[in-house]
This record gives sequence, C-alpha cells and structure tokens, in this order.
Amino acid sequence: MTERIKKLKAALENREHRVHRRKLTEEELSVILPQIRNRALTYMERHTLRLKLFLELEQPVLLPGTEVYGLRTIEYFPDIYSEEELEEIKKTHYVHEKGKVTNLSWAVETVLTEGLEGRRARLLNGARADEEFVRLAGETIDIVEAFADRYAAAITESGKPDAGEALSRAVRFGAKTMAEAFQVFRILHFAVWASDCYHNTVGRFDQWLLPFYRHDLENGIETKESALEKIEDFFLSFNWDSDLYYSLAWGDNGQSLVLGGCLRDSTCAVNEITELALIAAREVRQIDPKINLRVDKNTPIELYELATELTKIGLGFPQYANDDVVIPCLEYWGYEPEDARNYAIAACWEFIVPENAMDIPNINGVPLAEIVHDVIEAHLMECDTLEELMAFVKDALTKRAIDMASVVKNLHLEPAPLLSLLMGTCADEGKDISAGAKYNNIGFHGTGLSSAADQLAAVDSMIFRTGKIEKERLLKGLSENYQNDRELRWMLRNEADKMGRDESANEIGNRLLHIFADAVEGLRNERGGIVRAGTGSAMYYVWHSRDLPATADGRDAGEYLPANFSPSLFLTKAGPLSALLGFSSDALKRTSNGGPMTLELHDSVFKDEQSVSKVAQLVRAYILAGGHQLQLNSVNAEKLRAAQLEPEKHQDLIVRVWGWSGHFVELDRCYQDQVLSRVEYKEL
Amino acid sequence: MKGLIFSIEEFALYDGPGIRVNVFFKGCPLRCRWCHNPEGLSPEKQIVRSPNGCIGCGACRDVCESPESCVLCRKCIITCPRGLIRVCGEEWDSEALAKHILKFSPILSNGGVTFSGGEVLMQADFLSELLDRTASLHRAIETSGFGSTEAFERVLSKTDLVYFDLKVMDGEKHKLYTGVDNAVILKHAKMLMHSGVPYVFRVPFIKDVNTDEENLQRLKAFLSEAPTPPTVEFLLYNKMAGAKYPLAGMAYTEHFEQPDEADIERAKRILRAFNISFRK
Repeated sequence: MTERIKKLKAALENREHRVHRRKLTEEELSVILPQIRNRALTYMERHTLRLKLFLELEQPVLLPGTEVYGLRTIEYFPDIYSEEELEEIKKTHYVHEKGKVTNLSWAVETVLTEGLEGRRARLLNGARADEEFVRLAGETIDIVEAFADRYAAAITESGKPDAGEALSRAVRFGAKTMAEAFQVFRILHFAVWASDCYHNTVGRFDQWLLPFYRHDLENGIETKESALEKIEDFFLSFNWDSDLYYSLAWGDNGQSLVLGGCLRDSTCAVNEITELALIAAREVRQIDPKINLRVDKNTPIELYELATELTKIGLGFPQYANDDVVIPCLEYWGYEPEDARNYAIAACWEFIVPENAMDIPNINGVPLAEIVHDVIEAHLMECDTLEELMAFVKDALTKRAIDMASVVKNLHLEPAPLLSLLMGTCADEGKDISAGAKYNNIGFHGTGLSSAADQLAAVDSMIFRTGKIEKERLLKGLSENYQNDRELRWMLRNEADKMGRDESANEIGNRLLHIFADAVEGLRNERGGIVRAGTGSAMYYVWHSRDLPATADGRDAGEYLPANFSPSLFLTKAGPLSALLGFSSDALKRTSNGGPMTLELHDSVFKDEQSVSKVAQLVRAYILAGGHQLQLNSVNAEKLRAAQLEPEKHQDLIVRVWGWSGHFVELDRCYQDQVLSRVEYKEL
Repeated sequence: MKGLIFSIEEFALYDGPGIRVNVFFKGCPLRCRWCHNPEGLSPEKQIVRSPNGCIGCGACRDVCESPESCVLCRKCIITCPRGLIRVCGEEWDSEALAKHILKFSPILSNGGVTFSGGEVLMQADFLSELLDRTASLHRAIETSGFGSTEAFERVLSKTDLVYFDLKVMDGEKHKLYTGVDNAVILKHAKMLMHSGVPYVFRVPFIKDVNTDEENLQRLKAFLSEAPTPPTVEFLLYNKMAGAKYPLAGMAYTEHFEQPDEADIERAKRILRAFNISFRK
C-alpha cells in the first residue's frame, strides 16, 4: 500500500471527513418538504425534484489525498412520502420494505463508456414508451451533470484543471481512463444513493474496469502498481458515507462487487483486475465493497489461495458463488443463457442479472422450520413413516407458498429515473425500471432449513426407524417446551440425525428444498415473473424464531434458528467436511435465489502458507461437491466471548492452541482467555 | 473388529498433505509430562466435563447413583442444563469407521486420513484393519513408536506417511519424562529410516528437557544414520499444554518453559544438515 493510501485509510478510520457533515435546518426542511411531498405532482416528478434539491444542497468537498471525489455532506434527506402517505399506499398496494427500487446492478461499462449524453441520445431517439419518464430522465441527466460540474469546478479551483475538465467531459461523453471511470462511477453512485434507491451494487468490477485498465497500460498512463493504488482509493470511497445509507443492519448496504466467473459467451472471465481487486480489498481492509468471487470446477487453486488471503483478515469475504450451480439454476428459471452467465450479486447474496432485471429477490421468507413444526404437531399421530409425514409437509409448504405469492399484488415501487437511465434498455425503451424489465421475478428465502430437516430427521430416526421415542412423548415435550422431559430434549439434540452430519438428514434437507422448489414452480406474479426459491434467511432467521415454539430437533421455544444455509447450532461430532457434504444438495440447481453455506474457522487456521492453502482446498472441495455459495468466517474475539457465555451453542467451535486444535468450550477458562487475548491482539 | 476413538477431526491442517480427516485413538502407554491430550490417555470410555459455563446447579451430582465409580449411565449428561458433560470415547467397528472416512473421499482430493492418538500402536489390529479398508486414500499415522515390533512392521507396510516422535534421546531421561524407556522407540525409528516409507520426525521442543547441546548432538548422530537426510519438525512447547486437564478431571502441575531463541538457534546450528522446521 502506498503512503497516499495509508494516509487516506487512516483519515477514513479516524472519521476526519465527518466534520463536513451537517443536518438540514428547519428552514431548509420547511422549503423542501412541501415540494417533494406535494401530492399534486406525480411520484416520478416528486422523486426527480427531490434528487434535484438534494444534489443542489450538497457542497463539494475535496478530501485531501483522494483522487475519487464525492463526499456526502447532508446526513439525512427526507423521503418523498410522509409516514401517513406510505400507510395509505399500503392499504391498496403491496409495498416491499420502503417501496423503493433496490438491489439492481446497472450497465456500468456501457454507461461509463458513453456518458450521460449517450444515455440522453438513447432516450430521445428511443421508443419513448412513457413521455413523462423521457422528460424527467432528461431532467435527471441535467441535474447529475450540474452536480458533477460543481465538483469539477472545485477540482479545478484546487489546482487540478485537467482533472476538473475531465470530470465534466467524462460524465457527459464517457470516460477513457481508469481515473475518469472511477470518478464518474463515484458521482453516479453518489447520485443513485441520493435518489433514495438503496442496496446499490457495484456489479462485475473486473469486467467493467478491464477496458479502461488496458487502455491506460497501453498508453503508458498507468502501471500495474499505480492501477492498484487507484483501485484502493476507489474501494475506500465506498466507506466514506456508508454509515448514512439505509440498511436493516449496519454494513448491510448492498455495495457488493463481483469478480471472476465466466463471460456471456461462457469463456473464463478472470483477468488482471480479478487479482488486483482481491489484493486491494485485503490491503484497505474495509467492509465495503463486499467482495464476491465467482468460481467453477475449472478455477485454479491459486485463485482460491489469493482469495483465502483476503478471508484471513476476518471481514467474512470473499463470498464464493459457484457458476456450475448458479448459472444452470438461473437458466432453469428462464433467464437467457447469456444473461445467466453474466450474473452478479445483490445486497447480501441474492443472485441477480445486471442491466435488464427488475427482480425483487428478497421479497419474503418462507418459514420452513415453522411449517414442519406445525405439520408434526398436527399430523404426527396419524403417520407411521417419513413418507406419510413428508406428504403433509409438501401440502403445507405448497399452500404457504401460494398464500405468500398471492399477497404480492398491486406492487408499489417508487419510480427511479436515474437508476433507470443506468440500466440496460430503459433509456432506449423510454420506460422507468420500476414499471418492469425483461425479468420481473421475485424471490422467497427459505428460513430455518436445517431446523426443518432436523425436525423431520429426528422423528424419522427416533420414532419411525428405531422406536426410541414414542409419538405421544414427543408431542408432550413440544407442548411443554421440554420443561418436564430433559432426557427427551437431550436425545433429540444429541442422538437424533442431523443435517450436515447424517446422510438420512442430508437427504431430507435435499427433499425439502425440492419440495420448496416445486411449491413455487408455476406461480406467477402480476408482472408475469416467477417466484425463485432460495436458501437465504436475511433477518428472518431471528424474526421467525421468536414466536416459534419448541421444535422436534430439541430446540427450545424462541431459540434462534441457524442463519442461511447452515447446520444446526446443536450439531456435534461433525466438522466442516461433513457440513460441506451435507449442504451440497442437488436441489440447489432449483433453489439458488441465494443464501450461503457459512463455515466458521478460527483465524489461527490462516496462520501460515500451508494452512491457507488447505483452507483454499476446502473451499474448492465445496464447489466441486456442488455447493452454490459459501461464506467463510475467520472466527474473532466476539464469537469466542459468546462461546464463553453460552457454551452449549458453540460446541463445535474449533480453535488452534498449540500445533493442535481443540473445542474452545472444552478448554479451561484461563486458556480460553489466553486464546481470546491472542485473537484480540491479532485483530488490532 | 472394534476400537476406541476419542475424536474425529475433519479439517486437520498439519498432519499430512491436502485436506485430511484425523482419527484419534484412545489410550496411550506413555505418560509424557507435557501431554496436551489427557483425555486420550485412558484406554477406557470416561466422562468428561467442560469446566466453563458450569453454573454450579448440582443437578449432575443429584442424579448420580454411583458417585464412587462411574458406570457411564449418562444421567449426569442428560441432566446438565448447559450440555457440558459427555462421554469421551466411542466404540467403532473398523468397517463402519472406514465407511465413515471414505464418505469424504470425493472432497479430500489429494488429502487423506491420519490416524493419531493416544497411541495408535496400542490398537494395532484395529489400525491394521482400518489401513486396509482405507487403502484408496493417502494414509498417515502419528506414533510415539512405542509398541510391539511385529505391530509396527505390519502397520508400516500399509502406511503412506509416518509422523514419528523423537522426544528425548537419552533412555533414562526419556523414562523420566514419558514413563517408558526409548530403546524400542529408537529401534523402530531406525526401521522407519530404512523402510522406504515417507516419514517426518517430530520433536516436542521443551526448554531444559531436550533443548540442550547433548540431546541435540545425540539426535544429530541418530539422524545421520538415515540413508537420506530426514525431515524434522520441532513443535515448540507453550503454556497451553494444560488446557484440557480440567476437562478430563485432572490437574496439570508441570512447569515447563517454552524454548527461547537461543534454543532454536542451537537446534538450527547442530541440525543444519537436515530439513528442519519449527512450529508454534
């Protein structure tokens, strides 16, 4: 890392830039609110006006040391709806989250190459399906160009006239160099956030940057080293304002970036930028942008090793996506092969198609654990085989999926002219993205999969197959939250089959995913889109667990479900290999809406080259086994402290102690503290 | 046949090439005073209790019907509200265990299985069957070398890699620190050096136990007898050795010190002709 980047990183971490922030004054609000909440205007007019007022009030700030300018100064800018108005809308419309366009991946390379005037030309010469859109999108271009010009003027005044001129030109007519591409991206990304769209992604970074990088190398403008410095500057820029962005949890802001994978024609897409980006992310060590690495059966081990060096620093990424599973799944759902091969990642892990999709991949979560719990409670007495019980599960799951899909009617989405302009064909068609695109699919997460599978596996292994537990005893235990039968709870937690360890339970998990896929197959939303089933949980794993009574896997009432596509918290006598095998289900080719298998490894396993190489091999093993998405956490001090407080929930937390590894919860307290202090030291 | 196992670890980092499954045999004839696996010493199943998180509710004591000698009735295990008690030691049939290991074959790629302990030679027949049944994988063993020569030879012929401990070269001192003489160990180490089977010698490196000039010179002389210079890994002792003693209901009372830079430099100087490495 160069001195410039080191200083910039330190300034970011010291939050020096926050002195430039301010709140809107009452007086300003009294001018703004009546305009943007004027119900005499259309939503699109209000949205455009809001962006104009916001960007006009933004004062350019040129932070010392950076070459990627664009710092947000206004902490909060009000929504176009009052709370009352949004409630009114909800009475007649389905409103997802805040009713905004989110989680899209725009046509970065095209937009950066042709500039906003290129988009305007398309708008004026295109199909003009919606004249209001054409008019307001044109105004939006003026607004963003004016904003960029004010930054350009400030840059010129600071003694960099060439850079100032370049910004004004590039934002209009396209970037030629990496530096221009980053600056234009920053201005557009800033403006998209300002337009109240959120979970704004970065797309396939190593693809869109490549032509600019090669141009600069060929023309002697950049070297590999100077390009790395520029990428690091660019990566840091995602963190200046990220605490101001709307998100459901801190850091969950959707600034996801994708590397690797294949091109639209299915040839390998890994290039020089793939490597530089992994290095840059490791060096700047920030939580944004979040790195996703697309891999497949042919990905060389060296790329996994480079990526593991990034995992090692403990940010929880890169997250891996397996092209050999995800692309077939997207094709199965009807995405054209070229679009499927070009997939990117939305907010956390949802697979999205850039440029021409208006998918809402996280519209709801199907509570698999609750459905199975209810079936066991209602139908166990009349069943004597797993097949009989599974039939009831299938019915219940299908009914729930239909009910949930039927609620998504009269979808309300606030128009988003700016983001529309940046998408693939909206400018040509003259249509806002909120009105729909080539793909208009919605996605359902499936929450509590391992608990659902384990409940069925417990009934199968402890009642149907061995008779170790009587049906009445289980039902009584469930109704009493195991308060009067601790032995039952213990047997269910420790002796019953579990997904991620026992083959029969793995098979049940796989069947559940197929049932989930079957349940949504054929469902159509009002825009003709399909429903995609997935393995993510988002925050639903907490919400769905709060009111869930005791379950047949030995879980107490209210206890958290495991997040995403992960084994039960009660799983013992199984390590990462068992988990990877158990969670590489063939049903993933029908259920890859997104939602990773998560493995937690103590950060000491990344100690030397040999062990880093083994972690890389482990990741590749999961990809080869047919897993769709993998997140690897290097376990940190926080996790270890939690294990001290609640050892029963961290039975399988492995830590390396002295040339050997041990179960953390089994170590004597003073040794735990020692491991802990060691970890804390390493995190400094 | 059946054998007793105290742990199966699925992602071992330092015990052979590639991704590995490590199987730990329960029971060891040695009593190394720095042993970090006290639960692997006894060749019997035993109750172990995690010392942390115990709220002192006494439920385990209340249900116990045989406080003098444990009969493994499991009542305390079931009763503990924090799930802190378990049986250490699981009986496995060699066929079932091999099947369990082989199910990982598709994801082990260039890795394999490592049999460790405890002392694997203490269950040599069981080990021998396991080695036969897992012949499709890369098979490694970790051993102190203490056992019958017939057993060692038999096992060696079925193994792809051996990690062999050379703790202390002097017989008397060896007995003092491990409870057994090292004559048979050194005999087996020599057999190993001439067997053609790939091997790595491991030295738990502990200050004032085996870091001195004399021990290292004797080690050098011993290693010099090998037809090709052996690989030697020094595992640097640290204070964590006692971490699991409370779990096994034991107390760790030793006060060994970790080697310092001078010790490491001494080893490097004396053994420079060999392929040596140091690991924390």
